[in-house]
Order: sequence, then structure tokens, then C-alpha cells
Amino acid sequence: MLTAIQILFLIFVPFLFLGIINRVKAVWAGRKGSPLLQPFYDFKKLLRKGKVISKTTSIIFKIAPTVNLSSIIFAFLILPLPSIGSVISFQGDFILFAYALGLAKFFTVIAALDTGSSFEGMGASREVTFSTIVEPAFFIVIGTLALLTGQTSFATIINLLSASAGYTILVKILFAVSLIIMILTEGSRVPVDDPNTHLELTMIHEVMVLDFSGPDLAFILYGSGLKLVLLTSLLADLFIPVNVVSVYPLIIFMGIIFLTSALIGMIESLIARARMSHVPQFIFLMTALSLIAFAVVIFFLRGGL
Amino acid sequence: MNYFFSGVLLFFLAGVVTIFVRKDEWKSIIFLIAASGAQILILPTLFSSLIFGNSFSAAAIFSEPIGAATLRLDPLASVFALIISAGALLAAIYSLGYMKHYYGGKYSLSAFYFFFGLLISSMLLVVVVQNSILFLIVWELMSVSSFFLVVFENDKEDVRKAGLYYLIAMQIGASFLIAAFSWLGNLSGSYDFASFKNILSAQNYTAIILFSLFFIGFGTKAGFVPFHTWLPRAHPAAPTGVSAIMSGVMIKTGIYGILRIILLSGVPEVHLAYAVFIISFVTGIVGILNAISQKDIKKFLAYSSIENIGIIGMGIGLGMLGAAYNIPLIEILGYLGAILHSVNHFIFKSMLFYGAGIVYQNTNTRNIEKLGGLIKFMPVTSILFLTGAIAISGLPMFNGFISEFAIYLGMAKGFASANVSLNIFMLIGFSGLALIGIMAMVGFTKLFGIAFLGSPREPFDKTPHEGSTALILPMIVLSVFIFVVGIFPITIIQILNPVLRQFNNINIEQQFSSVFSLYTSLTGAFILFALIIFIVFLIRVYFLRNKKVEQFKTWDCGYQAVSSRLQYTGSSYSLPFLELVAEFVPQKTVVETQYEIFPAEAHLKTSQHDFAERLFVQPVLKFIRRFLTMFAWIQSGRMQQYILYGLIFLVIILIWIFGAM
Repeated sequence: MLTAIQILFLIFVPFLFLGIINRVKAVWAGRKGSPLLQPFYDFKKLLRKGKVISKTTSIIFKIAPTVNLSSIIFAFLILPLPSIGSVISFQGDFILFAYALGLAKFFTVIAALDTGSSFEGMGASREVTFSTIVEPAFFIVIGTLALLTGQTSFATIINLLSASAGYTILVKILFAVSLIIMILTEGSRVPVDDPNTHLELTMIHEVMVLDFSGPDLAFILYGSGLKLVLLTSLLADLFIPVNVVSVYPLIIFMGIIFLTSALIGMIESLIARARMSHVPQFIFLMTALSLIAFAVVIFFLRGGL
Repeated sequence: MNYFFSGVLLFFLAGVVTIFVRKDEWKSIIFLIAASGAQILILPTLFSSLIFGNSFSAAAIFSEPIGAATLRLDPLASVFALIISAGALLAAIYSLGYMKHYYGGKYSLSAFYFFFGLLISSMLLVVVVQNSILFLIVWELMSVSSFFLVVFENDKEDVRKAGLYYLIAMQIGASFLIAAFSWLGNLSGSYDFASFKNILSAQNYTAIILFSLFFIGFGTKAGFVPFHTWLPRAHPAAPTGVSAIMSGVMIKTGIYGILRIILLSGVPEVHLAYAVFIISFVTGIVGILNAISQKDIKKFLAYSSIENIGIIGMGIGLGMLGAAYNIPLIEILGYLGAILHSVNHFIFKSMLFYGAGIVYQNTNTRNIEKLGGLIKFMPVTSILFLTGAIAISGLPMFNGFISEFAIYLGMAKGFASANVSLNIFMLIGFSGLALIGIMAMVGFTKLFGIAFLGSPREPFDKTPHEGSTALILPMIVLSVFIFVVGIFPITIIQILNPVLRQFNNINIEQQFSSVFSLYTSLTGAFILFALIIFIVFLIRVYFLRNKKVEQFKTWDCGYQAVSSRLQYTGSSYSLPFLELVAEFVPQKTVVETQYEIFPAEAHLKTSQHDFAERLFVQPVLKFIRRFLTMFAWIQSGRMQQYILYGLIFLVIILIWIFGAM
């Protein structure tokens, strides 16, 4: 029962997540803001619509949104969730997790190039450029977690992580910051990208999906919301006991997710978009933090470098 | 074993026969028939070796200095022989379509098929010969025959230059092998591989130096940095069928050589293992960085081969580390990843080269900046090329993921070890492989997105069309393998079991069964993945039923004068990334403008340099050139001086003879 509610809840969380971000921003700016479930209404509206496709596009453009959304859903099955655990779990499953998201990115990028628009080419180019910094940093994070616990699958890592104490809290905090940087980059939020500016040369992810419409656009919007929740869940996993079957971990889990969305809304209200040439420096912060975490683990676990 | 040799002979004879056939068309057909016949002869032996773990051997007595030579087909040799033989058949099918272009032309097809047959048979011999002198002979035959294939279009100057560069690089590599083999021959008193075991497995300086010599010698063939510079020159120059053979198959003989030496050396020295791991890591990074900056499809693919050799090398290094630290699971995962990636790279790289060949034949250009929108003219080729591109980026459900997964997992297992230096190197490899993977994605989205998607950047001379059946068929066969290996990896891992057993025979069964069950669960995950894609697709179909789908032009922000020239180009696509790594991919920009009152015609020329070549290769070449110019006075061009040499020579001979008397 709990599981069923949780799954239903997860299906709606992406909308709420985006809704909270928008509400926080609105309140911060002194506005009333749109309803919390506005992203869901938009989604429903888009599903009902027909679509316009460009004559330049090919089959790639048609299949990309489907592959994109499916890959993100699939990645969700690998991530351990409170009381459910992970649906798919084996040694090295985190590699499949990262590469499933890679498949999603591959298709989004070639779909953008499929339109032949220079805007979308620009977005695609920036998206892959920033990914080249995020991806290795993410693997440092995973690698350090594997080092810390001596395990090679998400479920076992998270289980052991909740049991360990002491200096791990330092590592967890470093990773929390790294993952927030990753969420901001991969989820295309300020200061890396601004999802509200559809037509300026500063944009990255939003511009890649300019030509999509109707159900395809709905899939993409839902996909990007789901991706935000996915990465936030990973962040929440660091702090909760996953293997305890009770309501409390779930409450903490959801709490962290909504807190993160509020935090993103806050960051967007306080900070301006970084200049394009400064974005890599911001993302490199993630690499630096995760390397520090690695050094900390080596220091405490192996007794010095 | 006799069947195997008959197959080898058949490849050679097919090449000889084409010399006596007059019609060019028949040459291709005869070679194809022979190549198919050779499969029937060769494959049963290979599979019996791979499935049952049998080794076949034959002995032959040659005149001195070779002496008694052993030829052995063990599982390791069989894997590589399988790639060679299958690659030859596919290339023969492809050439039936591709060489049509040259029928009745100025280039000799007999020469092409003769050296093609010679190349295949010498490669097949390379993997079975167990005697160093015979090995060097077939090794050189392989290099020389492939040289003649590279210079097929011999009236073009850049082709001849590339060919010569290739030949010289191969000779430099071979000279290291000759040094190593003759040293070993001296130490052991025999030229048989089996007699080298004692010397190579002793963990002393001799063994380390010998291993390094072998690594450089074989690494030059495989394309490890800094011995990689011949690949981007030779691959584009050769006809496509040959490029595919060279890149997909021939460079693997270098990997085979390294693995063979590791088999002979037993437990590797730890520092050597680290060195191989780090050199391979650098190779991977250098390869893909240079690939991203290329505009030429074939050059791009050549650099990407260097990257993949780096990944294979990381697997080898990992296997060596596992052996050195006595962690069998890491050892098995490392070697499994390396060998599997060799097979996988053959599959997708051949496929990509075949696709590039079809594009080149249709458009007469290899420059992606001039292409675009090919998917509308050649949908089948494009989708097959995309399949190869996704596979080479290592994305799940395609075969590239399977081998990279083994290497990733092996490195992740290294974190559990209590050894700090192993931990640190594993982290470098772990995040480094992720970096290589994501950069491969940058490169291949560029290659596919710019050349095949969008709309044509320049008008085509003639409308491109789908390749003929002979051109498409090899790609279809390879794409089937991509999915079979990609989704049901246990099929291939099962037949690699005997090979891994050669590396570590102790407690392999237990380790292997855990790897096996791991890949089984991977298959389960992929089936679930496919199911999700299918369900999401059905949902999409449901919501799109009886909906209006309009066709319109790409949204252009209200700008009316859109032309296809305004599209993003490959250079602009990779620019933000290349700016991040500008130190490693130095770009030279030349702008020619005439400043007048009104803007006049201007030209912009950009070219990228291979950073590793500048750093490692050019200083050495410069030094050699400076050193050799010191002796330039010997060849002065004056007849009198040359006569003097003759005189001095005669005097020395006379003195020597009289002295001896």
C-alpha cells in the first residue's frame, strides 16, 4: 500500500517540484504566483494538442522525446528509494544509471541538430560541453562512495552509508553541494541556464527543444522535471536510512526533495545567470569538491595519503 | 589446424588468381567467393577452440635460421583470428560494391586484391606463429602488404606521402620487436616463444626492458600515444574497405601481441601495470580530443580508433594490476573488457567506416562541413551509421557498453582494495573513462548530427542515394552483432571463457560465474528498458491518434531569409568544448581580408594540431634530422668523392684479407 502511494506520488512529484520552484520565485519577487500544480495543467494541455513538425526533421526528431523520457524513467528504477529499494540492482548498476542518462542526452542532442536550426545547434553544443565537466565529476562522486563503503551497487552503498558515522558527515555535505551543482547544470537552472529565457543566446537546454510541440513537448517537459527529481532523490538517498520499512524515512526523503526545490527557487531569485564563459568554472567547483571528498575518505579510511 | 591453414592459403591464392583474370568485375567476385570459402574452412576450427577451449598446434621444420617452428591456435589466437577472418569476408563483400568505382580505371585492381589476400593471410599467420623469426617475417609481410593497399591511389601525392609515413612508422615499430626478439633469442638460446617464459617472468630489469620494447613495438601497430601519428594519415588515404580492415582488424594484432607477451610473462610487475594503465588512459584522451576537432570523417574515425585502443589498453592495464595485486576478479574483468572491446571495436568501427565510404562515394567529399541532411537521401545508411555511433559512445543496449562496463566495474572493484595507490589510480581511470565516454558522445553527435541531419550545407553535385546491396549488407550484418552483443552479452562472454582461463586458471570458475550472472542481470535490465521505451512509445501513439500533425519549416524566430548555410557547422558545434581544452588542441587560425571602404572578400582558415605529436614526436624527429645532417657531407654529389669511397673500401678489404692471411 505504502509502495503504491509512493509510486503514485513519484509520478506527481516532478510537477510539484517545478511548481514549488516557481512559487518560491514568485513569493520572493512579491507576486502571488501560479498554482502549485500549474506544470501539471500545462502537461495535460500539451497532451491534448496536435503538433507541428519541421520539414527539415527526420525520424530522429520523432523518436527522441520517447527515448529521452524512457531513459530517465529507467534510471529511476536503478536508484534506491525509501521502503521500495531499487527495482533493478546489481554490481555496477550506477554505471548503467549514468549511461542511461547519457542515452537520453544523446538523443536530445541529435534531435536538436535534426532541425537544422542554428539556435538549437548552439544549445546542443553547450549542453554537451558542460556535460564533459559534469560527467567525470559525477563518477568521482560515485567512485568515492564505492571507496567509502567498499560496495559496487547503489543499494548496498546507500545501506552502508546510513550506518556509517563520524567523518562521513563531512563527505556527505561535500557531496550534497556537488550534487546540487549537478542538479543545477543537468536540470538547466540558474546560474548555468535560465529555463525562462526561450529566445536569448544565453540559453542551453530550453533552446534545444524549441521545435517540439504537443505530446512530444509534454514528454520533454515531464522528462526534465523527472530528471530534477531523480538527481534530487540521489541527494536525499545520502541522508536517509533506506532499508528501514517505515514512514519516517519516506517523510525525510520527501522533505529533502521539497527543500531542494525550494532551495533552487531561492538560488534563482538571488543569483543571476552566470556569463557563458564563467559557467565551466562554476561546474568545475563540483569536480573540486568531490576530489576533496575523495581525499578526505582516503585520509580517514586508509590512514593518510 | 589443416583446415585453418587451407583457409589462410585460400586467401592468398585468391589474391594471386585475380592477377590472371582480365575483367575487373570478376576479380571482386572471385575474391569474395574465396573469402566465403575460407570462412567455411577457418570458422569451425576457431569455434571449437573458443567453445571447448581446445588448442591446435602444428610443427614445421624450416631451414636455418628459423629452425623448428611451432604454430599454435589457442583460444587467444582464435578470438583475433575470428575478427580477422570475419572482417575479411565483410570487407570483400563491401569491396564488391565499393571498388566498382575503379573498374577499368587507372588503378590496378589486381594489385589491390593480391595485397588484400596477402594482408589477410599474413594477419592470420601472425596470431598463430610461435617462433620469433617466422613471426617477424609474417609481421613484416602484414605491414608491407597493407602499405601497398594504403597507396592504392598511387598517383596522388598526399596518398604516397601518407603511405611512406605509414611504412616508416611500421619499420620503427618492427625495429623494437627485432631488438626484443633477438635479445630474447640470445638469452634463451632458442627462438621459440615457449622458451622465453623463464626470462620474461623473472621480475628483474631485463624483463621490464624487454616488456617495454615489446610494448613500443606492438604499441606502434596498435596506435598507443605517442606512436599513434600514422593512423590519422594512413586510414584516410586507403580505400574504405581497407580502412575498415586496418582500423577494425589490423591494429588489433598489436593488442594481440601485447596480450601474448603478458601471457608469457606470468605475473606482471606492478609498475609496468601502472605504466600501461596510464599510457592507455592518455591514449584515450588524446585520441578523442583530436577526433572532436576533425572535419574529415575518416580522420575523425582514425582518431577515434586511437581512443578505443586507449580503452582496450586500460582494460589490459587493469588486468595486469589485478594480477599484480592478486585480485582475480579485477584481473578477469580487465582482460575481459580489453578482449571484448577489441571485438566490439571491430564491429562498430568497421561499420562506421563502411558508412563513411558510402557517404564519400555519393558526395565526393569527406569534409562534414559540406554535408548535411543525408538522412533524407540515404535513410538506411544513416540509421546504420547512427547505430554504430551510439555503440561506439558506449551507451546501454549497444555493444560498446558491454565491454566498457567490464572495465568500469573492474576499476570500481579496485576501490575495495586497501592499497591507496591502487585506489587513487582507479579513481583516475574511473572518472577518466567517464570523460572519454562523454567526449566520444560529443564527437559522435557532431559527426552524425552535422553530416546526416539538418539540411545540406552545400548543394550536392549529384543527388546522393542509398548505397548498393553489397555496400549495405556488411553494415546490416554488423548491426545485428551490435544488438546481439549489446543485449545478450552472455553469448559472447561464454566463448571468451577459455581465453580468460589462459590468463588465470586458478579459481576462475567462481569469479567467472559471478561475472556471468552479472551480465545476465544486465540483460534483464535491458529488456526492462526496452519494455519501458515500448510503453512510452505506445502512450505517445495513444495521445497522437487522430491529432493534426502539421508540417512547417524549422522555427526561425521570425527571421525570414533563412538559408541552410546558417546552420550550425561542425566547427561551431565543437568550439565551446575545444575552447575549454584549448591548450591540448591548439588551433591555428589564418584570416585573410583586404580592408577597404566596403567589406571585401575574406577568407578564414582554421586547422588543429595534434598536441601529442608536437610534444612527443616532433622533437625526436627534429633531433634525428639534426643528427643525420651531420653526415650529409657523405652524399655530396661529387663523382670524385664517390670514387674515393670505392678506393678506401678496396684498400680496407685488401688490408683485411692480407691481415687475415
